[in-house]
Amino acid sequence: MKTGLSWLAWPLQSMIRRSRRDPKASMDNSLLISLSQQLAAYRSMDVIANNLANVSTPGFKRESARFEELIAMVRPAEGQRGPQALSFVKDAGISRDLSQGSIQRTDAPLDVAINGKGFFVVNTPEGERYTRDGHFSLDAEGRLVTSDGHAVMGDGGAITVNPADGEIHIARDGTISSVVNGALNQLGKLRLAGFADEALLVKEGANLYSTTQAATAAAGTIQQGALEGSNVQPVVEISKMIEVMRAYEATATLSKSQQDLSRQAIAKLGAMPR
Amino acid sequence: MRALSIASTGMLAQQVNVEVIANNLANMNTTGFKLQRAEFQDLLYQNVQTPGSQTSDTGAVAPNGIQIGAGVKTAAIYRVTTQGDLKSTSNPYDIAVQGQGYFRIQLADGTDGYTRAGNFGLSPEGQLVTQQGLVVQPGIAIPQNTISVQINAQGQVNATVAGNAVPQTVGQLELTRFPNEAGLNAVGDNLYLETPASGAPQSGVPGSPGYGTIQQGFLETSNVNSVDEITALITAQRAYEMNSKVVSAADQMLQNTARLGGA
Repeated sequence: MKTGLSWLAWPLQSMIRRSRRDPKASMDNSLLISLSQQLAAYRSMDVIANNLANVSTPGFKRESARFEELIAMVRPAEGQRGPQALSFVKDAGISRDLSQGSIQRTDAPLDVAINGKGFFVVNTPEGERYTRDGHFSLDAEGRLVTSDGHAVMGDGGAITVNPADGEIHIARDGTISSVVNGALNQLGKLRLAGFADEALLVKEGANLYSTTQAATAAAGTIQQGALEGSNVQPVVEISKMIEVMRAYEATATLSKSQQDLSRQAIAKLGAMPR
Repeated sequence: MRALSIASTGMLAQQVNVEVIANNLANMNTTGFKLQRAEFQDLLYQNVQTPGSQTSDTGAVAPNGIQIGAGVKTAAIYRVTTQGDLKSTSNPYDIAVQGQGYFRIQLADGTDGYTRAGNFGLSPEGQLVTQQGLVVQPGIAIPQNTISVQINAQGQVNATVAGNAVPQTVGQLELTRFPNEAGLNAVGDNLYLETPASGAPQSGVPGSPGYGTIQQGFLETSNVNSVDEITALITAQRAYEMNSKVVSAADQMLQNTARLGGA
């Protein structure tokens, strides 16, 4: 389906380009405008589907597709004066809703949720990555790692728990300590990274974000034994989905009647006079 | 139209979720069972326009990019190793661990397995064995003519033999800990095996720092909480339903497209 769509989109783009260069080139404008709306609807649908697929992904932030108007000037048609403006739909971007997800209790001692701003810092082979998914565990050496085995960074590098230690406590400021002989022994402090513009973080998949921005300290607090759920609201997504679907149907009807019109015109005008 | 494949990844993920919940509920009454949770991650993104890319030569930057996700995947199914409740059974060979540590069991092939299920019994030779007849390590033999057996919190096994008023020490239970107990490989029969992820086993006497204590006459129940599981089940079912709605919506859009080409 993807290849089929891009095949459709390519002539559309080249025709829009051609119509801008040469206003005399004729084109079936209403069909092309409908097509641009339909492509936009497909994209909105992809974004909604991704939100709903990630409704149980910890720390997932919902996204919505935004579109803008693209004005193309064409020559006037019969009975019109001056160049006419056509407005197509064009992708403007996908905005991310960075609001807090709900905090879900899991009781696992190494599950941590961030309340407020900030990201956990994860050391991957590709460099530092950032995540809101606080499901951590220990590896064979007792290091605190993500479910992909990447080390979670504290203020002084990776955090290692001695296997002989007792219960692990994580304080609201991210300080990790373990019980040794009945007393608390501080192991490290989880690093929380904040960014000047969180919307510029690039999603990498596997709940990780990357960025070229410099990380600063963040003010979020940590809650042990809980995970931040996805902030996708199913009701919102389903109603948006219906909206997109109906808009798509309406445009499809429009193109259909446009097509019928051309067919009738061809039949009428092309009829050989007897 | 990626929506179809994206929604199908969502349905698959919720199916895994329901399977994990079903297994937890099925093992609600399994001694020493630790509940599992499925963890999900978003899939790779297609960058149509990377956030922060320049939109003009003067250095204007797009405030938002266009990144289209590809759905969701199951990242891990991890075990929540919290303590289960202790249930009194009054059976002298029912032994529960309160705190950290596993019993070490010698498997049929001579290697070691580990378990939290302390519903032990005696072999015909008087050895302390599991319900499958596997010997608990280090081996503890209960002498014949034993009237009663006491196991203290530190795992010392004392037997009172007929004709002798003073109990004699016949063995010492040990507990084994792992740096990452969530990394153990569950092989069924309440047994776990060591893996590269779990780290090397470390044995110690119950009650020493970091190790749990022993409770004779008790069994550790599973740590599955039925209310939590049913809530999770409802959530998973609804999420599955919503993803299937996306499939039918995408299907409807494609039907409309197909009709366009018709006469």
